[in-house]
Amino acid sequence: MLMDGLFASLYRRLARRRTLLLIITLFLWLVSLAAFTRLELEENIAAMLPESGTASSDLRLLERAPFARKIIIDLTADASVSTDALIQAADRLAAELPRETFSRVVSGPDGEAGGNLVSAMLGVLPNLFSAADAERLSRELTPSAVRERVNDSYAALLAPEGWALKQLLRSDPLNLRQLALEKLRYLRLVPNAQLSDNHFVSSDRRHLLLLAETPLAVTDSAGAVALEDDFSTAARLVLPDGIKATFLSGHRYTLANATAVKADLWVVLGCSLSAIAAIFAIFLRRRQALWVFLTPVLVLTTAACAVALVYQPVSAITLGFGAVLLGISVDFAIHVYYALRHAVGDPAVALGKVARPLLFGGLTTIGGFAVLLLSDLPGQRQLAVFSVAGIVTALLLSLLVLPHLLPSGAVQIISAVPRRADRKRGGWLLVTVWFVLLLLCGWQARDIRFNGDLRALSLTPPELRQLETQLAQTWGGLHGQALVFSFGGGAEAALAANDRLFERLQTALPAERLVSLAPLLPALTSQAENRQRWNDFWTGEHGQQIVATLQEEATRLGFSAQAFVPFTERLTTAVAPVTLDFYRAAGFADAFAALLFTEDGVTRSLTLLPDSPPVLAALTTIESDPATRLVSPTCFRSEISAAIEDDFLRFITLAAVLIVTLLLLLFRDLRKVVLALVPVASGLLGMFGVMATLGVEFNLFNIIATILVIGLGVDYGIFMVCREDEKSDLGTGQAVFVSGLTTLAGFGALILGQHPALYSIGVSVLIGISVAIPAALLVVPVLSRRWLK
Amino acid sequence: MRLFLAITLLVLLVLLTCAPLFAAEAEPLFERLEAAATNVRTVTSAFTQEKRLAIFDEVLTSSGRFAFAKPDQLRWELLEPVKTGFVLSGDRGRRWHGRAGTSESFDIRSDPMMRIVAEQLLAWARADFGWLRERYQLEVLGENPATLKLIPRTEVGFLDHLKIIFAADDTHVQQVEMHEQDGDATIIRFSDAIINQPVPDETFRN
Repeated sequence: MLMDGLFASLYRRLARRRTLLLIITLFLWLVSLAAFTRLELEENIAAMLPESGTASSDLRLLERAPFARKIIIDLTADASVSTDALIQAADRLAAELPRETFSRVVSGPDGEAGGNLVSAMLGVLPNLFSAADAERLSRELTPSAVRERVNDSYAALLAPEGWALKQLLRSDPLNLRQLALEKLRYLRLVPNAQLSDNHFVSSDRRHLLLLAETPLAVTDSAGAVALEDDFSTAARLVLPDGIKATFLSGHRYTLANATAVKADLWVVLGCSLSAIAAIFAIFLRRRQALWVFLTPVLVLTTAACAVALVYQPVSAITLGFGAVLLGISVDFAIHVYYALRHAVGDPAVALGKVARPLLFGGLTTIGGFAVLLLSDLPGQRQLAVFSVAGIVTALLLSLLVLPHLLPSGAVQIISAVPRRADRKRGGWLLVTVWFVLLLLCGWQARDIRFNGDLRALSLTPPELRQLETQLAQTWGGLHGQALVFSFGGGAEAALAANDRLFERLQTALPAERLVSLAPLLPALTSQAENRQRWNDFWTGEHGQQIVATLQEEATRLGFSAQAFVPFTERLTTAVAPVTLDFYRAAGFADAFAALLFTEDGVTRSLTLLPDSPPVLAALTTIESDPATRLVSPTCFRSEISAAIEDDFLRFITLAAVLIVTLLLLLFRDLRKVVLALVPVASGLLGMFGVMATLGVEFNLFNIIATILVIGLGVDYGIFMVCREDEKSDLGTGQAVFVSGLTTLAGFGALILGQHPALYSIGVSVLIGISVAIPAALLVVPVLSRRWLK
Repeated sequence: MRLFLAITLLVLLVLLTCAPLFAAEAEPLFERLEAAATNVRTVTSAFTQEKRLAIFDEVLTSSGRFAFAKPDQLRWELLEPVKTGFVLSGDRGRRWHGRAGTSESFDIRSDPMMRIVAEQLLAWARADFGWLRERYQLEVLGENPATLKLIPRTEVGFLDHLKIIFAADDTHVQQVEMHEQDGDATIIRFSDAIINQPVPDETFRN
């Protein structure tokens, strides 16, 4: 009663200063609007990743995958087009692409990988001579094998290529170069690419790969339009008939999502506004009732500014989700509207009566959202501040400002639900059916699955999915590989860790599945060990025997005594360590830059593996090294799924405890508490059960929608219990019904959206609220008649 | 001394003015060879190869067969003392090593070594003076039979110069001498040439 008097008194006082109140409200809103337009927004999805785990850093590391930031251009030729023509077309396209959008285009290794590479690799072989190499040579270089290899050298000298191979064969009659060249296979970043005229072509020679860089941010949708336009224009200008070109980069996903959201907005807004207009025309009818729908707009800017006071920068994703949650705020305004319309006599009294359930509802909703402050996801903590500030603002507006803008006085209001329908005998039948359905939903809800795949949060159009598949089939795993980072304070430490990793991986995985620098650029200490091993091998008994056999076989074939002096000299001549510059000069600068880099003072060497369950299982058996870190899309998804699940369960549990506690404090009656929880429990069980039955996975967006269902469901329960409790009706049933309808119109319409985010929120709200409303309007009254007698 | 300098200068001037004349005078010969080659669609012949290499105590002699069909089909096959060779059709080919019983396909776009070999053989077979002049300075050593000396315009590592002798009827190359910078030499003599007779497609497949 104290609360009733307080708000009635406030209403009377403010009514005398109505103009001033409205001016102050308008001023405050304009201030918040000005601040809102200056907000620094961050679009990084990392805000929605758990902080305590490794998810955020894993995401950053996943973005270091060699092709994660590249534009992949695929040229496809008809059978009638020759490889020459394809290569020429690719070169013309690369030259035609504007440098403003395609800052660098690469068509193959950055230099002639052939030429002197063979002899150069042979020259550095002592630095790369691993224990496995020594064991292999010991095993393979038997006297008969030496004879075969000398015979091969002899035959090669007679063949035309012998013209150019003579010096090489003198330096390497035993084909040790093969050992060195095989190490280059660990550098195959594009597994299925072959080189043709220094261009990446597919094995069927119908595809050619170009890799491009761009200065445009992946999130820049306007830039993405420019990128697509420039590409189409260049392709149209230079590509002949029979050759098509397409490209894949993060920008295309950004653009597809932005376009889909825009298209969805027209559909969804059209449907929502039509539905809300229909609700207005049927249930509200008065021009002043439009103020009700302005409440969320006023609340949005204020809540956003409140977040900015606590967090900088504000997550754009939080703001988007928050705007959805403000659907709750319109309900408070609807209840005030109905209370005033039902007022008989002094509107202040009616306002006082509605203030109690309104504050109860507001407090429990605030409590529910406050739980999010404990979330592991920084974005959800921002969301908590946003929602709490928004609901407080909505309460203040609804109770202090809105009553002075709305009409008052008893009018006949179209009743949506027969007030006495629940008194009929059919009421208990309804409750029984409701209970059975809830049991069924609860049973089904056990199968609900959580999906941590961040890609599920965005739209991938069929053409991009098809392109992904085509690129994967043509070129091998350009994306989605598991990454193992070996790191240290400098290149030497990182390479040493990389050497240790490679040694362990070799025992667990087939060599052809690895991309690693370890066989090509070991740490200096490893290189010194390799050189020592090389010397030991050739000065050892087996090595000396190999050299002796070589000399015998050479004499037999007529070679002069000096023929293989370059070889024997090479065996004992000291060589300098191999360096990064050596490979840069050999044409591998890009590949090495992708696999060895320094950021924030930490040098990382990257090893690539297939992101498949057997490989990941094999990795778990490898002894862990504190200087290495595995990151894989599969592990990342699992981690996020687990984090979302944990966070969600914690949220639900804490919210339940807090809401029940608040309800106990407010009602001081366990039966009323149970009754007030009927709509929210029904809504949640219905939502989980139906989603599980339909196979809809639970993602981050569904969690936000769940919060909305909880907030609204509790409010419905409180209003209905208060109505039954106070034995007076201020149009509560209609208010609950209309607010439920507006929620369904506003958010349920999102189900028509193509974008996964809109659809996810829409489907959850649609199911949850569709179950919560009948539970509030039909079940609560029947139960309360029985329990509150 | 002044007289010596004057004579030297005079000689140099004469040589410099004559150099273009030599090239200009050579043009009719090149045109003659190109004209003869225009009518050649196929060539098959036997060859012997002598390798005079410092790394061998003796001259290495080998023999084999050669086939060419316009525009870009080749077969180069050693039969003695080892069986080895390659075929080429367009950009792609296959080479084999008879002793080991192995063979492998190649593509001259991704195999720089085979590209050099194929380009050389095709240029000689087609008398492609456009291609040859881009890479070599051509010097006419004799007109009947046409004998040319080819000096690489850029450093190609091992090669000092080539000497090519054409057949009397200009239709094909009769002898190629490859002289290396270290004094080694390879001489290939073509014999029993058959011109413009049908060559089965199988010849260029293996």
